[in-house]
Amino acid sequence: MIGVDDRTPARVRAGQPDRGKRIAGLMDAARQGSEDALGQIVTELTPLLWQVARAAGLSSGDTEDVLQTVWMRLLDHLDGIHAPAALTGWLVITTRREAWRVSAAARRQLPADTEFLSLLPDQGPGSEEQVIIDDQRRALWQAIGQLSPRCQELLRIVAFVPRPDYAVVAADLGMPTGSVGPTRGRCLAKLRALLASDDLEGSSR
Amino acid sequence: MTPSDAGGTTPAGESLDDVDLGLLDGIRELFQAADPMPADLPERLRFFLALRGLEIEVARLAAEERQPSLAARGAEVSRTITFDSDSLTIMIRIDPNLDGTARVDGWLAPPQRREIDMKTTADSLTVTSDEQGRFAFARVPRGTAQLVVRSEDSGPGGAGRSVVTPALIL
Repeated sequence: MIGVDDRTPARVRAGQPDRGKRIAGLMDAARQGSEDALGQIVTELTPLLWQVARAAGLSSGDTEDVLQTVWMRLLDHLDGIHAPAALTGWLVITTRREAWRVSAAARRQLPADTEFLSLLPDQGPGSEEQVIIDDQRRALWQAIGQLSPRCQELLRIVAFVPRPDYAVVAADLGMPTGSVGPTRGRCLAKLRALLASDDLEGSSR
Repeated sequence: MTPSDAGGTTPAGESLDDVDLGLLDGIRELFQAADPMPADLPERLRFFLALRGLEIEVARLAAEERQPSLAARGAEVSRTITFDSDSLTIMIRIDPNLDGTARVDGWLAPPQRREIDMKTTADSLTVTSDEQGRFAFARVPRGTAQLVVRSEDSGPGGAGRSVVTPALIL
């Protein structure tokens, strides 16, 4: 089912105004050696980092190894990172770099179109309303599969980034600051165009 | 998103509208369904990080046995697990308590007095083994747990390393 861990979407979506303050407080405490504060940061941001590593094509086992490495490395860098958005950015970039290093010899491709679709869990028969939701979901999934690998990876990562951190993280992903919006917008614009077209198999409009 | 949402630090060019944000929500839900993070991963990473800075020896699981528990009815079993490290063998028996917690009795070989932590998802519990190497945790919450036998503080040239076991599911 959608929303396996339904705490995360709510938290990410809400973009709570005090999230920044809360994370900054946890970072301070973690710097002073608080095991619990560090643990809360791990719990908050690991779902994002999982997607970053998996988007680079890593197996789940390799992903877990990479995440251990990344969090250990953060302990050496925590003194130099102050803003919550900078923390998110550092973690995303470090995870991505480490994941690509590990996967360099392995398969680099994101799943092909058909493979992509098969990943989507079968929702089974449902109410008429459910059928409409499933169709929309399927259409979105199919459209994502038609984007360039770079756009797929970028949107997958950005979708999991806490909203206040979007801009900083997108910039960290290698786009000039001035073009953050437009660049990300291009991937989203392509996605919107694909969804608006009738080319998508299974889109019942 | 307006600049004020991000504390006034949003660079120019931030131009996501509600449709974009809705699409990103949809993308997140799809990937959460198609490729969910293992639910216990953050917890395992927390355990792993808690060991940093310790000079540690990681014990290997050497043997595990299950037998019907005498203490409880039903399908509950008591488990006996042996861990080996270079300096120490740790044997524990886990029995279910009637209140849903677990009792853990353990022995260190060679026998010695050491401080022993049971790290759990809640609090960390600490006991000291006696001269015969015996120790016991009367009530340990169910879930992930890990034993850390703390290093000996003194002893000239003595093995000063803590010994940790892999995470256990109680």
